[in-house]
Amino acid sequence: MELIFKIAWRNILRHRGKSIIIGIILFLGSLIMTVGNGVISGMDSGLEKNIVNGFMGDIVIISSKERSDNILFKIMGKSVETITNYKDIKPLLEQQDYIEAKLPVGKNGAMVINEEEGEPGYAYLLGVDFKEYKEFFKDNITPVEGTLLGDAEQGLLMSAKARDELYESMNVWFIPHGGKLEEANLSEDAKENLNSLIVKENPVFMGFSDNNSSSDIRVPVKGIIKYRALNTIWGHFAIMDIESYRRALGYFSSADTKIDISDEKKMLLESDDLDSMFGSESIIVPDKGSKDIDVDFTRKKLSTTEGVDLESGTYNLIFIKLKSGISMEHGVSRLNEAFSNAALSGTDPGVRAVTWKKGAGPIGNMATIIKGALFFFVMMLFVVAIIIIVNTLTMATLERVTEIGMMRAVGARKSFISGMFVGETAMLSGLFGGFGIIVGVVVVKLIPYFNITTDNDMVQLLYGGDKFFPILSFVDIFVVIMQLFAVTVITVLYPVKVATGIVPLDAISRD
Amino acid sequence: MNIIEIKGLKKDYPLGKTTVNAVRGVDLNIEEGEFISIIGPSGSGKTTLLNVIGCIDTATEGSVKVGGAEITIMNDRALTDLRLHKIGFIFQTFNLIPVLDVIENVEFPLLLMKKHTKSEIRKRALKLIEEVGLKEHATHRPAELSGGQRQRVAIARALVTNPDIVLADEPTANLDSVTGAQILELMREMNKIENTTFIFSTHDEHVLKYANRVVKIKDGFIMEG
Repeated sequence: MELIFKIAWRNILRHRGKSIIIGIILFLGSLIMTVGNGVISGMDSGLEKNIVNGFMGDIVIISSKERSDNILFKIMGKSVETITNYKDIKPLLEQQDYIEAKLPVGKNGAMVINEEEGEPGYAYLLGVDFKEYKEFFKDNITPVEGTLLGDAEQGLLMSAKARDELYESMNVWFIPHGGKLEEANLSEDAKENLNSLIVKENPVFMGFSDNNSSSDIRVPVKGIIKYRALNTIWGHFAIMDIESYRRALGYFSSADTKIDISDEKKMLLESDDLDSMFGSESIIVPDKGSKDIDVDFTRKKLSTTEGVDLESGTYNLIFIKLKSGISMEHGVSRLNEAFSNAALSGTDPGVRAVTWKKGAGPIGNMATIIKGALFFFVMMLFVVAIIIIVNTLTMATLERVTEIGMMRAVGARKSFISGMFVGETAMLSGLFGGFGIIVGVVVVKLIPYFNITTDNDMVQLLYGGDKFFPILSFVDIFVVIMQLFAVTVITVLYPVKVATGIVPLDAISRD
Repeated sequence: MNIIEIKGLKKDYPLGKTTVNAVRGVDLNIEEGEFISIIGPSGSGKTTLLNVIGCIDTATEGSVKVGGAEITIMNDRALTDLRLHKIGFIFQTFNLIPVLDVIENVEFPLLLMKKHTKSEIRKRALKLIEEVGLKEHATHRPAELSGGQRQRVAIARALVTNPDIVLADEPTANLDSVTGAQILELMREMNKIENTTFIFSTHDEHVLKYANRVVKIKDGFIMEG
């Protein structure tokens, strides 16, 4: 073995030019893969941190009627099923010692009515008790214009991104109620049309509901906001107080609970079986003005939810934060077990818990997808490297036919010749590839010290948040080592086949 | 005692649609310790005969025994081991390993054998290097040596394993006459010192005086010897 490595090492030095070319390819491949893995792992971790702490929590509780776990951006804008029994679920959640916090929310899409006879706009709504929301997601939004919602205050926090998108479709520019137009914040298109700009403060929403029970509701914009991280994703969502949200979606609101109706009627109201609802003459469903906009609805009746039992109304989701050290999978498993034991896991009005990754659908898998893409890119790089290295090694083999033939003639077995070539390639891989990995690790470790941050939405996606913080796990490094190993094995196969095919006679024939 | 016994050896090479009959039926016995020259013109079959004896080419027909072992029925691994333990080679173009120095080149076959300690290998190699007159050049690489010096290294390498036979295919062909004569003198001397059988091919009749037996070959047949 010592002899093999001695000959291999000296051959590397003898053919410096070729060795350096092969080495540079291996170095770059390893470096790119190591740093890339670090960036993707950082993105994965950053995404998780920002999604968990900024938008969804660790776990999402959804209605058992949901066919898919993906409830964030549903296909074809299908509405999210309702959770009507939060009052039953809440005590159960409070009994779970691994849960740190919970936040029931409404989440669905809504049409923004264009009162100027133009095209309507569309937005995702997140209905919340804003006091609870602030406690659950600390500092994840900042006001760009206006203010955030006060405790029990009703109104809308429209994201700057959603405002730009609404302007694109509606040609209406929204500003906070009672505020003034901030020209600096106008989109490029809006700036061009400044003279004819239609400015409004109170958009009218009509929620998307599968049972056609939605209402038109005017809600004042309290503030224009920006999400601290991942605004590209969360910027689609406008935050609305939960009672306004429920009315926009035509849900059973907390105010409705004050109406004294019989249990039979309550059951029917909570049902989505319209035939049974309209088949009964005993129920009268009041027209909530889906055609005519109740302009004063917000100001007169819904300026505050002070004293209203918000938890008795309808929600769509419950976000859960787990205590430190509890895995999502463990939390989901225990929660679903608790729901099952409490007979809350049935189809109606049952619920089930899913991890944020499942709940976020494609966004949850984004890191995995990008990681796969990077892996594919580096593998392509390695394929090119393999072709170049195989070609170079084969040429080197053919140049050494006499030498190898002589070795075979004086008694070297085929295994010795194979070992010599494997040794050469392994040394190059170990030396240059190993150096590439070390440099990659150093680069990944140094990057956080530069405190690289960004406000750019697209770059934030790559960072997994607002700060570039790549991290490397042993698994990431192991993957690169395995790739290097695979490259070494693959590249050496053909040259070894050629070399072991050289017979002693070749040493003489070449004379 | 015969170290080599050849009976009815034939060797054919396919060449396109025709077949070249390089050796057409050779019977030859060589005794231990002989210093034999195989002489003949180019294409006479002398190199083929040497290659078959050296187990680096196979016979088409006939029997070849080296040290009593029938080599025509051996597989590649057995032939490799036989070459390592029983046969030494000296090539026309020296064929040293360029990345190893003189002493490492001489040690190479012994290291392949994995039978001796490092110090034993070094001692044996140094002894032979001294015998071939290259003590001062022990740490030189082949590229730093003259043709004659390289061939001396090849002789030392061929002898380092104490082989029964040393085969040399036109060992002086790439050397000037003076150096060629020195190499043949050295081979003759080593033959005496180590009692190793030397078989060398040549087409140069001037070198015949060194041989104690000459085998003349022509058109694949032994004509004399």
